[in-house]
Amino acid sequence: MSADLLSYSVAGTLVVPHYLGEHDHPWLQVLLEEHERFIGRPQRDLEARLRDPLPCDSPPRKLRLAIKVLGRLRPHNRKSVVPPRQTRAHVFGAAARTSGPPPAVWTAVATSLGVSVEDLQGSLFADLPGERIVAEPVQPLSTVELALRCNLALVQEMLFRATVVSVEVEGNARVLVRHAKWRGLICGVAERPGRTSATVELSGPFALFRNTRLYGRALGELVPLLAWCPRFRLQAECIFHGRRLTLQLGAGDPIFPARAPRRYDSLLEERFAREFRRFAPAWDVIREPEPIAAAGTLIFPDFALRHRFDPTRRWLLEIVGFWTPDYVARKLALYRSAGLSNLILCIDEQRNCAEADLPPGARVLRYRRRVDAAAVLRAIETTTCAR
Amino acid sequence: MRLQFDRGTIVLTDPPKGLDLAEAPGVLWDPRVRAHRAPASKYPALKLWLHQRGAGFQDIRAPTPPVQELWSDVDLRPYQDAALAAWELGHRRGVVALPTGSGKTRLALAAMQRTRLSALCLVPTRVLLDQWLREIGALYRGPVGCYGDGVRRWAPLTIATYESAYRHMDQLGDRFDLVIVDEVHHFGCGLRDEALEMTIAQARLGLTATPSRDAAVRARLTELMGPTVFELTVADLAGGFLASFDAITLYVDLAPDERATYAGLAAVFNAALADFRRTAPDGSWAEFNRCSVRTAEGRRALAAWRQMRRLLAFTCAKRRALASLLDRHRDSRVLVFTADNETAYAIAREHLVMPLTCDIGRSERDNALERFHRGDLRTLVSARVLNEGLDVPDADVAVVVGGALGEREHVQRVGRLLRPGEGKRAVVYELVTRNTIEVGQARRRRQGLVVRRSAQL
Repeated sequence: MSADLLSYSVAGTLVVPHYLGEHDHPWLQVLLEEHERFIGRPQRDLEARLRDPLPCDSPPRKLRLAIKVLGRLRPHNRKSVVPPRQTRAHVFGAAARTSGPPPAVWTAVATSLGVSVEDLQGSLFADLPGERIVAEPVQPLSTVELALRCNLALVQEMLFRATVVSVEVEGNARVLVRHAKWRGLICGVAERPGRTSATVELSGPFALFRNTRLYGRALGELVPLLAWCPRFRLQAECIFHGRRLTLQLGAGDPIFPARAPRRYDSLLEERFAREFRRFAPAWDVIREPEPIAAAGTLIFPDFALRHRFDPTRRWLLEIVGFWTPDYVARKLALYRSAGLSNLILCIDEQRNCAEADLPPGARVLRYRRRVDAAAVLRAIETTTCAR
Repeated sequence: MRLQFDRGTIVLTDPPKGLDLAEAPGVLWDPRVRAHRAPASKYPALKLWLHQRGAGFQDIRAPTPPVQELWSDVDLRPYQDAALAAWELGHRRGVVALPTGSGKTRLALAAMQRTRLSALCLVPTRVLLDQWLREIGALYRGPVGCYGDGVRRWAPLTIATYESAYRHMDQLGDRFDLVIVDEVHHFGCGLRDEALEMTIAQARLGLTATPSRDAAVRARLTELMGPTVFELTVADLAGGFLASFDAITLYVDLAPDERATYAGLAAVFNAALADFRRTAPDGSWAEFNRCSVRTAEGRRALAAWRQMRRLLAFTCAKRRALASLLDRHRDSRVLVFTADNETAYAIAREHLVMPLTCDIGRSERDNALERFHRGDLRTLVSARVLNEGLDVPDADVAVVVGGALGEREHVQRVGRLLRPGEGKRAVVYELVTRNTIEVGQARRRRQGLVVRRSAQL
């Protein structure tokens, strides 16, 4: 997306996005109606129409952004009697072979293919972006949703210029950490003393040397995920025209949320939670309990198991499954340094972890293909919990 | 101490006591991981620095070389041999500037074959990706890797598009000893430069037909790839290793209604430009753009500018001139260059000639080039796809209906015709509309040929 679609102002060192809100709904409605009018017509006609202003006041940058976002959401159809590629091969080949005028070429090719000249001409470039047919939307789109989607595109595009992002987040920090690891970012997580929130700092390895936009896309992808954190405050260092500016976002900003993150990381976890609930009705299974401080960072156990009538009986459960040996070693080292006495580690037999590698005090259950919920229940029922 | 490649950087852990890594080239302390870190491109200098101090270290794994026996011999022309020797003398770092059609890809293949190094070749487009894969495949019988166009396949010899290299260099950066950059003039201005900083490759070869004249860009490119070690121009090779050519400018007029529209648009645009010039006499076009989008008047001026360009892209007179030229050269292989895809399609419809644009799929494009080579198609029309690098067989006439990218684009376009042939003399026609912005644009784009040629004579 080009920079001339971004609507923002600069206040000191802060960059402030100009969100689309209720005051923009009238012209967004007109824009949606214009789109409706062009259903069944070529995309290029719609594009030509949208090059001219709307019949009502509309901020130019916001309008361009909305057109772009709408373009991505609307499906297109192709309409051709003869496959376009085949049409081009026949028509241009025939034109090169003969010295006749173009109308004669059209007629000759149309006759040989058994179609009308009009159909043949309509098929020539039917697959090109401008020639595709504007189609009905899959789902009706409201002005409110369009505005929220535009806002998401706006802040994502601004974050694509980010070098470092810091997020103070309450709950669901795991989703950010998971994303950071998946995208190869360096992720530092720190608890705030006396507060329930954690601060997640994200940047790329190369960001140490330069204000690089190399990781902008990965950082921008965080935005829709944040909508699933109950509370957050994001601060990003961004580069705009060579200037370093700070972008701040917070819970409550009008941004379209991503699809809800998956509740479980794997089918293995999902199956365990289901089976444990069935086997142990007196126990609550808490997915993604609060993180635990260890060696200057935070670790995120997969589950907490808490007795419904005696909350002091509480266990943390971590399933160490499909990962590299290096990952397992680092994870176990973190758990060792945390010194937890209420930890159950479920380790895939194929990981070949030596006893010496395991955290002292942890209960270890080895599994093959599925974590045995009954075995976990036996382990916690027969052991006194220290924490 | 251990050196580790970490996503485009080198991480140094467990340094011996007494060794101050802060003095090592490119090394900084990274508080995020509590270790020293350097850009991967500093790896050769860093290793040398450690050796000089007698510091032992566990090195990163050396890249896997290609199998030498699978290479066929690569013959070079004398000037290509000289270029390769100059690059070798420059410690295998540097840029070679040779005109389009003079065999830069072959030079790169010879560099790969003679150095026996694992090599990553970066190319600007998917079209060139295919072309390089074909060319390497013809001389190297082993597997060739590819990053781009939806493919991610590694091999000791790998071709990648710039975009894929930028995205994946954090994984590829420690797998090659030699990096070759085709059309290297695209680097050095900040865009995607990190791709070259995130690889440990010590040997680096840049190839271009149009080296940048901007001092800052040249300096940055020298840092990333090395200095220009060898340079020849069209004039040096034309008539021998390249075909001779005639450049003919045809001036055409606007029709009365076109002139009236143009005058109206020019008035809007010129007024805004004059206002801008009063406040910023040396302001650049980019600054004018930034300034203009802030006001309704400025936005009208930019819209007028775009409309002027659309109007000039394919005027009635250009239509007539093109029809006449295509008729005159109906037995030749003709390339028509336009300013935009829209005009290319308009010409394709009007004259029933095959367009080659970014919208036309790869296999159809290859098929069209093959048919052009066989003579089944005599004319191709394109806005940008044919501009750079693509090997166009046997064209001898070019008609430049419009251009958007200036001097560099023009030099590349002319280069499409210069593949030598017996007794071949190519012709380049430029259609320029009188008393419009096109006159200045055409003059500026021709400078690329004129200045460089006169400098050699």
